[in-house]
Amino acid sequence: MTGRPFSLDQTLNTLAAWLLALMWILPLVYAVWTAIHPGAYEARFVLTAPLTADNFIAAWNAAPFARYFLNTFLLVTLILAGQFLLCTLAAYAFARFTFPGRSILFTLVLLQLLVMPDILIVENYKTMRLLDLVDTIPAIALPYIASGFGIFLLRQTFLTIPRELDEAARIEGASVLGILWRVYIPLAKPTYLAYGLVSVSHHWNNFLWPLIVTNSEETRPVTVGLSIFSAIDSGIEWSVINAATLMTTAPLLIAFLLFQRQFVQSFMRAGIK
Amino acid sequence: MKHTLLKAVATTALTFGTWASAHAVDLQFYFPVAVGGAAAETIQSLTDEYVAANPDVTIDAVYTGSYQDTVAKVITAARGGNPPQLSVILSVDMFTLIDEDLIMPFDDYLPGEEGKAWLDGFYPAFMENSQTGGKTYGIPFQRSTPVLYWNKEAFKDAGLDPETPPATWDEMVEYGQKLVKKDASGNVTRWGVRIPSSGFPYWLFQGLTTENDVILANADGNKTNFDDPKVVEALQYMVDLSGKYGVMAPGIIEWGATPKAFFEGQTAMMWTSTGNLTNVRTNAPFEFGVAMLPANKRRGAPTGGGNFYLLKGATDEQAQAAVDFVKWITAPQQSAKWTMATGYVAPRAETWETDTMKAYAADFPPVLVARDQLEHAVAELSTYQNQRVTSIFNDALAAAITGQKDPEAALKDAQSKADAILAEYR
Repeated sequence: MTGRPFSLDQTLNTLAAWLLALMWILPLVYAVWTAIHPGAYEARFVLTAPLTADNFIAAWNAAPFARYFLNTFLLVTLILAGQFLLCTLAAYAFARFTFPGRSILFTLVLLQLLVMPDILIVENYKTMRLLDLVDTIPAIALPYIASGFGIFLLRQTFLTIPRELDEAARIEGASVLGILWRVYIPLAKPTYLAYGLVSVSHHWNNFLWPLIVTNSEETRPVTVGLSIFSAIDSGIEWSVINAATLMTTAPLLIAFLLFQRQFVQSFMRAGIK
Repeated sequence: MKHTLLKAVATTALTFGTWASAHAVDLQFYFPVAVGGAAAETIQSLTDEYVAANPDVTIDAVYTGSYQDTVAKVITAARGGNPPQLSVILSVDMFTLIDEDLIMPFDDYLPGEEGKAWLDGFYPAFMENSQTGGKTYGIPFQRSTPVLYWNKEAFKDAGLDPETPPATWDEMVEYGQKLVKKDASGNVTRWGVRIPSSGFPYWLFQGLTTENDVILANADGNKTNFDDPKVVEALQYMVDLSGKYGVMAPGIIEWGATPKAFFEGQTAMMWTSTGNLTNVRTNAPFEFGVAMLPANKRRGAPTGGGNFYLLKGATDEQAQAAVDFVKWITAPQQSAKWTMATGYVAPRAETWETDTMKAYAADFPPVLVARDQLEHAVAELSTYQNQRVTSIFNDALAAAITGQKDPEAALKDAQSKADAILAEYR
């Protein structure tokens, strides 16, 4: 660092970045603080405060979290797999084929982005009941699988891929799906990664729809388990709530920290902010 | 990998779809949880106990989040043609549920003198929110009422008698002023009293209006009295607590943080739900007392919490089985277990006569305060279009508490808005 001339602009930038980072991390730091200390230290920040794992134990025992984790894992996997399959095929069709009604269909897909999923809860419930799927994990997943956002995002990415590559593959004798598999999907990897992250974190945190469409321990995700701590009538125990929150978000946080570089790069390339 | 996964999911789904249909009467029962601790487990174990003793019934007890989530789930399931037969929902949602045509009265399944006698066994204060038009739509279950908690050590410290809580509004101000403690630079380190006002300020405020001898809404749920001079006077008192008298922190006071502030000595008294009793008993590092809310023109408090509702769509057989289950779970033995696990007030006098409850009360007399206060208690504010009307009222209270409007103007405004909504129900 020595020898570089002092620049006010740079210093201010760095300061602002630190400030933002600090503001972002503070709630997390507070959550960690309260989770590893007894309840009495929720608002008293003494370095000598005794450490404890009791909050985590209490949180873990308050609901069948092992089962809930499995359910959430199944749920986000199912949704992501379904979304990748459907959105890829639809996006490919919208990007590279001409067929009657294409623009109307694409407008309909875009319209889906404007509709709040919460408005559709009753209709979705009726559909799930018609399919006899109420209280199953597929019932939580199905309404989200044909994602307008995913189709739109992948279509835009596919459109940026030069047609020459497409034609070259065709000359080599690749089939329509072969081209998709060998040319488009590999080149859109950053978009898949970015979209996958958004999708997984959204459905990991989704609460209302899973609560409404499921009834039993065998199908409910972690967020429903977490809701048991919002006991307003008897005062809020921040230490236990924060322990439970850290516990349920830990898989996401750890994955993000591990793959942080790839995520950031793919977000830049895919253009999602 | 994905195949096995889907198969596993589908099998699980199938198993649970067909599992319940082999029995005679199947019931589904939704319940929310609004207190910490073992509430959900207690309901589950009571239900299991009942099913074990009654093999001709199966009950699927479903935990459904907060009260708001539960209403959302019940309405969605009913619109989707799949309502539960039984659900615990806030007692104040009765008119809304009638309006939405979702619930049916219990009376048809409680025939004759015996049925009437059973209904009469509940405390009248709890039944006020449960009956309308001569029919009973709710059976009290997880019911509470606000009480005053006081820190005996703080009272001693301020030169007050630690065994005497304030009995009137004037005393609360007088004690409060002695209890306020400031540090050298003039910052308050201990407030006199804390009346939480975040989210749903109307509930504790209703304590004040009742004490000022005025009722906020009529029993038919279609007319409010928000701009009654006595209501204005009560709101003025609440505003003055932090303004003129300086015994309460100014601004909106958080519910969730209130017990903590009490434990840490930041306030010497607090008004909050009896649902906190077990929490305070476990966590207060000092001796505390529990008293009825102080009186002005009279004693008074609202009731709160949830009732059992019977939902439309149930067959006669299911409804009868559901009513039998409700009778069992509100019977003395079960009700005592529930009260001890949660701090909710047992809704039937006979429960308090059981040996378990007597022993519990002897060991921990504060549990009796809420019960004794019931004779002064009134129905919690409840009207048709309840969510909208209470939120108008809450906004008016918040505006007065934060000083944006003066109490009278805020309440007049709220009354005219409520009138506009309720006119069609008269």
